[in-house]
Amino acid sequence: MKVASISSTAIDTKSKQDELEKGTSLWADAASRMKKKPVAVVSFWFVAFYLGLALLCALDLIFTSYSVVNNDIAYQAPTWAHWFGTDVFGRDVLARAAHGTVTSLTVGFFGAGIAMFIGTFFGAIGGYFGGKIDDLVVWLYTTVDTIPGILLVVSFSFVMGPSLKTVCLAIGLTAWVGHCRIIRGEYIKHRDQDYVQGAAALGAGHIRRIFLHILPNVFHLILINFSLGFVGAIKSEVILSFLGLGVEPGTPSWGVMINDAKQELFRGVWWGLAAATIFMFFLVLAVNLFNSELRDALDPKLKNK
Amino acid sequence: MLKFAIRRTLYMFPILFGIALVTFLLFNVAGGDPAAQAAGKYATAEKIQEMRESLGIAGPLHEQFFGHLKQMATFDFGRSWSTKQTIRSMIFSGIGASVSLMVPVYVISLILAISLALLVAFLRGTFFDGATLVVSLALMSISSLVYILAGQYFVGYELGLFPINGWDSSLIARWQYLVLPTLIFVVLSLGSNVLFYRTVFLDQMYQDYVRTARSKGLADRVILFKHVLRNAMIPIITVVVTQLPFMILGSLLLESFFGIPGLGRMIVDAIQSSDFPVIKAMTTITAILVLVFQLVADLLYAVVDPRVQVR
Amino acid sequence: MSETILSVKNLAVDFKTDDGVVRAVKGVSFDIPKGKTVGLVGESGSGKSVSSLAVMGLIPNPPGEVTSGEILFDGQDLLKVSDAEMRRVRGNRISMIFQEPMTSLNPVFTVGNQICESLILHQGLDKRAAKQKAIELLDQVGIPNPSERVDSYPHEMSGGQRQRVMIAMAIACEPELLIADEPTTALDVTIQKQILELMADLQKKYGMSVLFITHDLGVIADIADDVVVMYRGDIVEKGNTEQIFQKPQHPYTKGLLACRPSLESNPQRLPMVSDFMTDEGEEIPNDIEATKGDKFVRSISEEENPIILQLKGVQKHFPLQKTLFGKVTKWVKAVDGVTLNVRKGRTLGLVGESGCGKTTLGRTVLRLIEPTGGQVIYDGKDITALDPNEMREMRKRMQIIFQDPYASLNPRMTVGAAIMEPMVIHNLGGSKAERVKMAGDLMERVGLSRMMLNRYPHEFSGGQRQRICIARALAVKPDFIICDESVSALDVSVQAQILNLLLDLQEEYGLTYIFISHDLAVVKFISDEVAVMYNGQVVEMNDAIGIYENPQHDYTKKLLSAIPKGIPKTMLQQ
Repeated sequence: MKVASISSTAIDTKSKQDELEKGTSLWADAASRMKKKPVAVVSFWFVAFYLGLALLCALDLIFTSYSVVNNDIAYQAPTWAHWFGTDVFGRDVLARAAHGTVTSLTVGFFGAGIAMFIGTFFGAIGGYFGGKIDDLVVWLYTTVDTIPGILLVVSFSFVMGPSLKTVCLAIGLTAWVGHCRIIRGEYIKHRDQDYVQGAAALGAGHIRRIFLHILPNVFHLILINFSLGFVGAIKSEVILSFLGLGVEPGTPSWGVMINDAKQELFRGVWWGLAAATIFMFFLVLAVNLFNSELRDALDPKLKNK
Repeated sequence: MLKFAIRRTLYMFPILFGIALVTFLLFNVAGGDPAAQAAGKYATAEKIQEMRESLGIAGPLHEQFFGHLKQMATFDFGRSWSTKQTIRSMIFSGIGASVSLMVPVYVISLILAISLALLVAFLRGTFFDGATLVVSLALMSISSLVYILAGQYFVGYELGLFPINGWDSSLIARWQYLVLPTLIFVVLSLGSNVLFYRTVFLDQMYQDYVRTARSKGLADRVILFKHVLRNAMIPIITVVVTQLPFMILGSLLLESFFGIPGLGRMIVDAIQSSDFPVIKAMTTITAILVLVFQLVADLLYAVVDPRVQVR
Repeated sequence: MSETILSVKNLAVDFKTDDGVVRAVKGVSFDIPKGKTVGLVGESGSGKSVSSLAVMGLIPNPPGEVTSGEILFDGQDLLKVSDAEMRRVRGNRISMIFQEPMTSLNPVFTVGNQICESLILHQGLDKRAAKQKAIELLDQVGIPNPSERVDSYPHEMSGGQRQRVMIAMAIACEPELLIADEPTTALDVTIQKQILELMADLQKKYGMSVLFITHDLGVIADIADDVVVMYRGDIVEKGNTEQIFQKPQHPYTKGLLACRPSLESNPQRLPMVSDFMTDEGEEIPNDIEATKGDKFVRSISEEENPIILQLKGVQKHFPLQKTLFGKVTKWVKAVDGVTLNVRKGRTLGLVGESGCGKTTLGRTVLRLIEPTGGQVIYDGKDITALDPNEMREMRKRMQIIFQDPYASLNPRMTVGAAIMEPMVIHNLGGSKAERVKMAGDLMERVGLSRMMLNRYPHEFSGGQRQRICIARALAVKPDFIICDESVSALDVSVQAQILNLLLDLQEEYGLTYIFISHDLAVVKFISDEVAVMYNGQVVEMNDAIGIYENPQHDYTKKLLSAIPKGIPKTMLQQ
């Protein structure tokens, strides 16, 4: 609102201190808004909790029993010793679900990260330069977009053989299209804006304009899309496991656990499914909620005018 | 309009070429020699060569590529390795089952999601709106596989309301096998659909023309159902049409779990038995289908949106 | 005297923002007499639009809320009636037209359909009768061929026609009160004149009262009987138009009247609101006439002001339509052969309406857009022939200041970084510390504190941001600057400050300006020579006084006659 900006920008021109006044960047501003929102704060701590959990598991500091096989106690229902029971090999389901966090976060970060990197790169150069380069970028992403993502992922996995690396790469190489489309649109919008034209008039080259000027102004969208991609990648891993194209056998993964429930459920073994679903639910929900709050807080349209 | 249609149709060709290129690179070049894998350790050289030929990966690369283009042009993708049937006949026999599952599923979930989103947009800012937002996000946080497993187990197995598995060739007797998968799909797609349509509606509600409509004394109800809905329909139609071909894949899990003999299950079977020709064919065909539906969506867009200048 | 149709008493409106509650309107009271036009005038943030939306019951809630007051319409308090009753008033007895004719109409319905809506709703007409009435209304608001145009979509009409449709929609039910919120601000001055005339005609015909909201005192003088002046949510002065224009009482009104450049006078510097009033609102005694000064013309001599920039047949054609094989069949001739000379240390004003090519020309001169033909010769060098490295060197000498100070600074960069960026690019100032010192000096030169270097653009007001843009342009020590509508987005009081600053800088650094604007009064004030552009071509060029006193081309004459005189109509009749 215009009304708000007038009263909040009453600036004291007579300030005689020697030190420069501290400015509040839009990022700092967004962070301070986020801190005021309970949903944002809670979901942030949830995500942080998962990160901590994954780190400790990856370093083998907690839930070290996840791969201890004990056939005597196979398919045990939840007890005080095993909160989520045991699986077919008598391994502790809770420990496996906890270690599944490592797999899921890896898939989420690398899958979405690769997609973000490719999508941003192509989107930026296509949108910024336009013309033939843009035609090529549009052709590329339209092509990849017409091939249904899941089949493309399947084909990749098929070609590369199932492994955690394959899952990340397959998801990354297919999911960039959405990013690319959005980032390209933003670059088209920004490249003609006065602040970029002004930089050009001052002699700033293409690289400077693309990375120093426009990129920071679209970065919030990259961030929002990254978190959407993150969630998407985690969910894709489950489907890939179902199709037998998931991680290497033996690696703890929520996808494998959910998938195993196909047979287990009808034998009354529900705890594997429950553990994986609960672990995944809170992570994905926290990321989704945080993302939705982030979107509100970062929207620069609410500022300025 | 005709000129626009022609121009738009011609634009499909570079993309078609792109599809051919990507699928070719994926299956013929990067794929290594699937024939050797599929034929097994003790296969004879002749056996492997035969499989290579059936895959179209026998000759030099450029010949292979032309073979691939020919397959695309004639829709003749050869035979499946596991069933030995021609892929074309497999598609024809599977398409009916897929359609009879996906049409009701799609229509019901669409109507439900759009009505709910309209209601939420109408009540924006209220508790109901906030609650719907959170519930939708929660629904989106559960894997679709879990919905299917839980649905089958609780509704199908424990309560015994509907059969878990099975099929009937008669269209009428088929309904009992379709209820549960339909129900499950509607629930699992509801969250993301409602959020999407809500955003579309809310985008419109803050436009200047809404303020004009209010200044005329129109009731909120009229503004929502006449002015906002008509504008929102433009992006919605595009999304709905372009998503149609993906429905084949949306039913992938459902068909496989409920034993419905459609295209989705055909793909799952092919993946699980490393049936290369089928996967390659389905990837290519779906891509072409998506392309065609994108064309339809663009032409529709030009019809529903008076602002699109058709040259 | 006469009856009152609307009486606003003690109206207060709050907006809730993340930074707390902002009181947009602080208890204002005013009356609208029957059959009269009341002008509500104020700068951005004065609360004028919010007040009018409150009358219509259209304050967006949340975040806005009417916290107190009464709005008596025909004796009934509109703040107390039910929603259903309010809807019967809206569009029927009180109607409204808005600023943006582009977005205010629903793009997917025909204009006829949208006009019919209120007829069907409020007058109970059936569809056929309503359409017949809609055609009559379109005819009344001067849409040619109304029986065909009734089935047109908004995008098929020009901006002026769309505003006519909005007016037809507003008068459909013959309302007693019409609220017009900046109805001509988005329009060209020649279209503005037509719309204002139309509104005056319709008012006479239907005996409506009008509440006319605008920032433009010139327009107010033309059409209002009474004026209400708002400033930061308060009414500072109200009275009849003649009285306000001749004997303003409040220092803010005095400043506002004085700081507006006009075609009649030609001062050396513009008076500013700060000449009449302190920031705290205390009056500084000053005489309006005395601040205006005498007619002032700068001399031009061949020795001191040689021609530094020559445009020779500059062209920029954009492809509009292509055949299937990429052959261009239609071109937009945005700039179509412009030949101009600009003198060193002087200002060339480039004036024209939207779409005339003036902005494209400005950017072509700096090669922000590549010209498709012609030569741009600066100080003996043909700029169009320079290679990228030579061009980069040239950018040190030629700079540009844009229109929208909100869009022309990178929102993620501190203003210090923005001012120092050109120094980094061109390797000016040896060290970081040296650059910070230079940037600080520039900040102070444009009237800001050097302590603010670490702040971000969103922490400044529009006028301050434009000062920062000027400082950034000065960072490379240029000798030529293009000002592209550089004061158009600013309030008049801020506009005066920036124009004075530009003049001071020109004097101090011997700068040469091309000043691009649609506002003839501003161009006349700042320029030594003026070129009028129309359809991509310069149709007339003369010195600043000559072009206004003795226009030659028909288009220039039309443009000049369309400008509101800024003198109340009752005074003109005397």
